[in-house]
Amino acid sequence: MIELTNASRLFGEVTAVDRISLTVETGETCVLVGSSGCGKSTTLRMINRLLPHSAGDIRVDGQDIREVDLQQLRLNMGYAIQGTGLFPHWTVARNIALVPQLQGWERARVEARVTELLDMLGLSPTEYADKYPAQLSGGQAQRVGVARALAADPNILLMDEPFGALDAITRENLQNEMLRIQRRLRKTTVFVTHDIDEALRLADRIAVMDQGRILQHDTPDAILRQPASAFVESLVGSQDRGLKLAALQSVAEVMQRHPQPRQAVPEKVSVGAQDSLRQALSVMLWQQLSELPVVDDQGLELGVLTRERLWRETA
Amino acid sequence: MLAPNRVILVLGAIALLLFCSLDFGTIQPNRIVEGTPYGALDALEWGGFALVTLLLAVTLVAAVLALPGRYWAILVSVVLLLMALPWLFSGFLDDQLGERYPYGRGGFAAGFWSLLFLLALMLVEGLRQVGASAWLRLTAGVLVLLSWWRALEVEALAGLSLVMEFQTRPDQFQQALLDHLALTLGAVMVSLLLAVPLVLVMIRRVRWQRPVFALVSFLQTVPSLALFGLLIAPLSVLSANFPLLQQLGIRGIGWAPAMIALVAYSLLPMVRNLFVALTEVPADLLEAAEGMGMNRRQVFLRVQLPLALPVVIEGVRMTTIQATGLTAVAALVGAGGFGTFIFQGLGQAAMDLVLLGALPTVALALAADTLFTALARLSARLNGATAQPSLIYE
Repeated sequence: MIELTNASRLFGEVTAVDRISLTVETGETCVLVGSSGCGKSTTLRMINRLLPHSAGDIRVDGQDIREVDLQQLRLNMGYAIQGTGLFPHWTVARNIALVPQLQGWERARVEARVTELLDMLGLSPTEYADKYPAQLSGGQAQRVGVARALAADPNILLMDEPFGALDAITRENLQNEMLRIQRRLRKTTVFVTHDIDEALRLADRIAVMDQGRILQHDTPDAILRQPASAFVESLVGSQDRGLKLAALQSVAEVMQRHPQPRQAVPEKVSVGAQDSLRQALSVMLWQQLSELPVVDDQGLELGVLTRERLWRETA
Repeated sequence: MLAPNRVILVLGAIALLLFCSLDFGTIQPNRIVEGTPYGALDALEWGGFALVTLLLAVTLVAAVLALPGRYWAILVSVVLLLMALPWLFSGFLDDQLGERYPYGRGGFAAGFWSLLFLLALMLVEGLRQVGASAWLRLTAGVLVLLSWWRALEVEALAGLSLVMEFQTRPDQFQQALLDHLALTLGAVMVSLLLAVPLVLVMIRRVRWQRPVFALVSFLQTVPSLALFGLLIAPLSVLSANFPLLQQLGIRGIGWAPAMIALVAYSLLPMVRNLFVALTEVPADLLEAAEGMGMNRRQVFLRVQLPLALPVVIEGVRMTTIQATGLTAVAALVGAGGFGTFIFQGLGQAAMDLVLLGALPTVALALAADTLFTALARLSARLNGATAQPSLIYE
């Protein structure tokens, strides 16, 4: 658990972060979102003391971070940044092994961990372990960046716009990857981004920041439905808010389930159970359909999604 | 279709032109009398003349004809020519000196030097064009040097006045080499040791940057002769008043003023390169390292220094080359080194004695250049595929 209480950060006369209070529960992903210069990165760096806070109180698992040994504090927090921050003179394996090595793990254990992480992020260990960062694509490098942050199995994950420099398709792949990992590992995560869609997608709770203050701290659903101020409203967009809301829910949560799964009709237009309502809506619009069969990975039809139901859910 | 290689074409054409038109060698009846110049045809007679023109013609033809493998023809011709030169000159000496001038001596003239210089340039270009590996470069160099070495060993060039100047003072030559190396390397080491703490302070405290750069730049602007001279008086006074200094060999003349001046000159390239090298390491990498839990020392030793190393070595390379040249001037204040021969030769109007000092100085600078370039490449390669090739001296 991370607790910020009236935490502030000043750069000379300028207040970058202004008495913010924020609690990130254990296992929760909190996304700090806002435009550049709003203090979100500063807030993140205050948590691992890259920037010491000027006033207020920051506690991690109940302990004041100023009373914890600096190296120990950081070694227990995975850290991933924009543009990967991978060391270009080290191989992928050595980059990932950094924190375990600093913690003094045995060699065999480090190697096993590197292999495990590369596998987990979909990079073949035999192919990638000995490559240098410059030999990787942007997406691969950022996967390694995430693997490095996870290496010593930290309780806390700090991510500073990690996918900011990637193209849209790679970014979406990595966001899916991130969601999958989070479902499995449930790390307490603070994630900084300026992209509201990324925030809505990844967050358990979102903190919208502007001019060093938190304007609203709430679930994605609540941020969309009840924006606390005009600023938040403009951030989430007034026109396509309905679509954003639809993107938050999966088809499986809303569909009318059949009593028994049945064999799907192969040629018929359908949606996947894990697809979002937004995708289902798009298919309905495009195909001019008022209901869609919902199928799972094995090709079984689990239920149907009707337009009326979709309407009701996203209202 | 391959285009003609203009570089080789131009170099080869100039080489052929200068070889045919300029004097190839001179013959002096004794050390003092002015020499008689000989053109290439007179010096080498038809056989040698034909050999050189033929091989040069091969390079020209190969440069124009766009055939595959042409660079190998060029490389072979150039290396053969460079290997043949001492033996051709040896033939010239034998023909002209012989019985006629028992005390005579021969010297290289403008045509010989031009040919040597242009062939070296063609060799570099040829090696570059075939994408030569380090081994091939080394082989080409060793072949040429071996041929020259062999010519000296069998005294084929005994009549060369440069060789004769050496023969009369082999011990002095060895001493000069040792002095020169000691002064140059000593100055480079001391300046590196001074530059490291200076630069570390400059990085931590920004307000130190301007005064330190101003100081080392100012030192660089003092004319070298003046600085060597200016140090004599204060050092003499110090030495006269403190016997301890005298026992250490610190006097107004000798190695002490030379070393101080050399270090002063070496500080600018050393400090500047070290500073640039360390500050050019991207800040987000250093912050990532710190954020992952490295302490300051680990960040410096594991990330900042290794990434800066190619540029640091580049700075050491530049400093060493500069110091090698300046050490020659230090002979004026009695510091020894190859400059001794240069100034003696100037005094006696014996140009070959000047060469005996100048050529080894150039050779030392080239050796330092080769060594540190190789080291910089190696360290860049150890830094992985990202090492910025633009920073590596080509």
